[in-house]
Amino acid sequence: MAEPVIAITKRRALGGSLALVAIVAIGVLMLSRGLALRDTAFFSGWLLLLMCLFLALYNLRKKLTYPPLMRSATWLQLHVYVGLVSIAVFVMHSGFKWPTGAFETLLWLFYTGTAASGLLGLYITRTFPPFLTRRDEEIIFERIPRLRREVREQAEALIVESVKQADTTTLSDFYAKSLATYFATPRNYWHHVFESRVPVKRMCADLKRLDRYLCDKEKAIAAQLDELIRAKDNLDYHWAVQGTLKGWLFIHIPLTYGLLLFAVVHAVLVHAFDGSVS
Amino acid sequence: MPGAQTFEKPERWDLPFSQDLPNPDERRDMTEHDIGRLMSIEPFCHMDPANFPDRLPLRGILANDTRIRRYNNGDVIVRQGDYGNSAFLILNGKARVILETLDPKLVGRQVTKKRTAWESLVSVITRPRMPEVRDTSKYPQGHREREQTQQRGANEVAFVQDVSNVLRVDSDLFNKARSEVMQTGQVFGELAALGRIQRSATVVADGEAVLLEIRWQGLRDLRKFDETLRKHIDDRFRKRGLAATLRAAPLLNKLTEGAVAKVAQAAIFETYGSYDWYGSYQQLRKRDEDPLKNEPVIASEGHYPNGLLIIRAGFARLSHRRGNGEQTYSYLGKGQVYGLAELAYNAKNPHKMVPLSSTLRAVGYVDVVHIPTKLFEQMILPHIPADEIPPLPAWSTTSDTPPVADNVPPARGGSAATTSSKQLNPGLTEFLVENRFINGTATMVIDLDRCTRCDDCVRACATGHTNNPRFIRHGVVFDHFMVANACMHCADPVCMIGCPTGAIHRTAEGGVVVINDVTCIGCGTCAASCPYDNIRMVDIRDEDNPDALLVDPRAGKPIAKATKCDLCNEHHGGPACQRACPHDALKRVDMRELEPHLPWLNR
Repeated sequence: MAEPVIAITKRRALGGSLALVAIVAIGVLMLSRGLALRDTAFFSGWLLLLMCLFLALYNLRKKLTYPPLMRSATWLQLHVYVGLVSIAVFVMHSGFKWPTGAFETLLWLFYTGTAASGLLGLYITRTFPPFLTRRDEEIIFERIPRLRREVREQAEALIVESVKQADTTTLSDFYAKSLATYFATPRNYWHHVFESRVPVKRMCADLKRLDRYLCDKEKAIAAQLDELIRAKDNLDYHWAVQGTLKGWLFIHIPLTYGLLLFAVVHAVLVHAFDGSVS
Repeated sequence: MPGAQTFEKPERWDLPFSQDLPNPDERRDMTEHDIGRLMSIEPFCHMDPANFPDRLPLRGILANDTRIRRYNNGDVIVRQGDYGNSAFLILNGKARVILETLDPKLVGRQVTKKRTAWESLVSVITRPRMPEVRDTSKYPQGHREREQTQQRGANEVAFVQDVSNVLRVDSDLFNKARSEVMQTGQVFGELAALGRIQRSATVVADGEAVLLEIRWQGLRDLRKFDETLRKHIDDRFRKRGLAATLRAAPLLNKLTEGAVAKVAQAAIFETYGSYDWYGSYQQLRKRDEDPLKNEPVIASEGHYPNGLLIIRAGFARLSHRRGNGEQTYSYLGKGQVYGLAELAYNAKNPHKMVPLSSTLRAVGYVDVVHIPTKLFEQMILPHIPADEIPPLPAWSTTSDTPPVADNVPPARGGSAATTSSKQLNPGLTEFLVENRFINGTATMVIDLDRCTRCDDCVRACATGHTNNPRFIRHGVVFDHFMVANACMHCADPVCMIGCPTGAIHRTAEGGVVVINDVTCIGCGTCAASCPYDNIRMVDIRDEDNPDALLVDPRAGKPIAKATKCDLCNEHHGGPACQRACPHDALKRVDMRELEPHLPWLNR
C-alpha cells in the first residue's frame, strides 16, 4: 500500500525546475513566433484558456472519488505548477499592459483574483497546519459551535454561582461588561490568524486584577473562569484558522467559474472580430 | 416513533450457515436427518446436550452453524494463505493436505469482485441523499425476502464471505506435490478459524468427499460448552501451530524435513497474555495505568538466554532499562525472533557470554515457539549466514547502560538511534506500541503538519459508503501524527471474537476485515470489542422509504448495523481517503512493514 515518497524539498525543486523550463520554452516559442511575424496572442490565449480549463478540472476530480483518475495529491501538484506557469503565460498574453475597457478589466480582475487567491491558498495550506498542530488539542471544526455554547453555559453558571456564594456582583459585573460578548460569538479573528495571543492575555490579566476585590470563594470561581476564557480562546483559534483553511476556496472557486465564463466569451469575441488577423 | 418504518430485528440464526453460500445450487438446509446423523458420530456423539444452554442448544448449533459440503476429486476445500472463517470435519471420503506452496493461480484463489470504473461512477452519482440506506430485500427477515425464500435457488443472493470451491487443482500437479492424506473423522482448518489467521496449507478432496463445514462461531460455542472437544482442539491447535511455525520460519528453511521434525520435538509452544485481551486493555486505558505492569514478561533483560523465541502469533514489546523505567524501542510480530544476537554471540564466545539485552513482553496475547539453546546451537546456527545475524546492541557489551540516544537498537525496518529517512523516531515507536497500534495492517495515520483539516478524506469515504463516512478524523496524537479512528484491519482482529453470526470476517484474499451487512444482526458485540473504538453502530433506512428509520415493531427500537472502514474493498485504486487527500497527509500504514512508510513518516 505504500507508494514511493519523494522528499518535499526534492519534489519542490523538481516541480519548480519543470515549471521554469516550461515558462522559458513558452517564452522562446512566443518570441520566435513574434520574430517570424506570426500571431502570438492567439497562441498564448488558447494556451492560457486550456490551462485554466485543466486547472478547473481539479474540482471535478475531487467530486469523483472512485474512478481511477490519479491521486488528489498528484492533481494538486499539477494544479499548483500549471497554475504558476499560467501566471507567466498570462503576463506574456496581456503583453505586460493594464487592461482597457470594462470587459477586459473584469477578465483581468477575475484572472488576477483567481491566481492571487490560489497563491494565498497555497501559502496558508502550507503554513497554517503546523500552527494548529502545536495547539494541545485537535478540534473538529463542525463541533466548535456546540463546544462554544457549552463553554458559554459553563461560564454563565459560574457567574450565577458567584453571586449566590459571595452575595456580591463584582464578577457578574465584569462578566456583563467584558466577557458576555466574548463568550457569545467567535472573536479576535485577525489576532488568531496572525498567531497573536494578546487579546486572551489581556482578558486574563483584567480578570486577575479583580482578585483584590474578591473573596476566596470568588477567587476559586475566577480561576475556573480564567480556564474557560482560555478554552474559548482555543475554540476561537481553531474556528479562525480552520475556517480560513476551508474558507479561501469559497473565494477561489467562484472566481474560477467567473474567469472561465469571461475567458470563453473573450475567446468567442476575439475570433468573431479577428478580421485583421491572418 | 414518528416517521419510522417497522422491520423485524435480525437475529443470530436468521440466515443459517447452510444458506450462506454464493452459489444457490449449493444451498441446502440442514435436515433433522442430517442432524440426527451428526449426533451419532464423533465428536458430537460424546457431547452432552445438557451442557448447552437453552439459547444455544447443540442441535441448534448443528442446524444453523454447520453445513454439509460435497466435493469431487481434486476440488479445493481450503487454500493456503486464505483467511479462514470455518473448520471442516471429514464425514465421508478423504482429503489431501498439500505440504508445498502452490501457485495461487492454480488453486483458484477467490478475488473480491471490484466495481468497474463506470459502476463506481454511477454509484457516486445515484447514491441516496439520506445516510445508511439499505436494500432490505437482501435481508433474510425482509418481507420481500420471505417471498423469495419460498423459491430459494431460483434467485441469487450474494453473501460475500464464502470461498468458491469449484476450481480444481491440476491433476499432474496434485500428484507431484508433497501431501498427506486425512481420513474420515479428521478435523482441519480450526487453527485458522480460531486464530483469525491465514490457512497454512491447501487442502483438496481426494476422491469424492463429504465434509461438515463449521462456522467458527459454532466451533467456538461447541468448544465452550464441551470440555472434551475443547481439550482436543487446544491440543491440536498447539501441535499444528508449532509445526506450521517452524516450517514457515526463515531461519529454519535450510534445514531438512527430518531436522525440522527433530526441532519440533524439542521445541516448546508457549502462550502469554489473554486470548481476549481487548477487555483488560480497554479497562487499562480507562484507568490510565502503566501498561508494562500488566503485560506478561516472556524474557527479561539481564537473564541468561536459554533459547531462541519465534513469535507465532500476536505482538511482543521489546524494551530495555532506562533510569528507573523502561524504554520501548521496538516490537516483534509474527515470524520474528528474539534472542538471536545473544545466542549467536555466546556460541562464539563461550567464555565471555552476554545476557539478554532487552525484555520481551506480551502485548495482548502472544504465541511463542521456544527452541532451547543447545538445539539451536547444534541444528540451526550452523545454517545461518553470518550477515543474517544481527549485532548486539551497544549496551549489552558494556557494564553501564549508555545514553539511549546513542544506543537505540535496530527497530523494525531500521536502526532507531536517530531519526533519518531510514529510521523510525523512538518516541513514535513507543507511542505505537503503547497504544497497540502495532496491531494494524492499514492504520490510518495523518500527518497533522500537512493536513489542512479540509475533510476531503471524510467526504470521499462518505461518497462510497451510503453517505456516511466509515471513520472519524479524530484520534490519538503523537507529535504531528494522528492515528485516526478508522478500522486498522488488525493482524489480530479481536472484534471478530464475539460476533454471533460471522458477519464480521476477513476476506479470503488480503484478509481485509469487513462486515457482511446481510448477516449483521446489530448486536454491537464487535463495536464493544474493538479496543480502538473504530466500529460504529448506525440506524438504517429502507431505500423505498429513505426518510424513515427502520424500527423493530417488537422492541420499538431502530434496526442497527455495525459499520466500519472496509478499505474500499469493492473499488479499484485502494482506500478513497488516502487517494482523496490533496496534501499527501493521510496514509494507511501496515505496522508489520514500516520500512516502505519511513520516508513518509520522517519527511
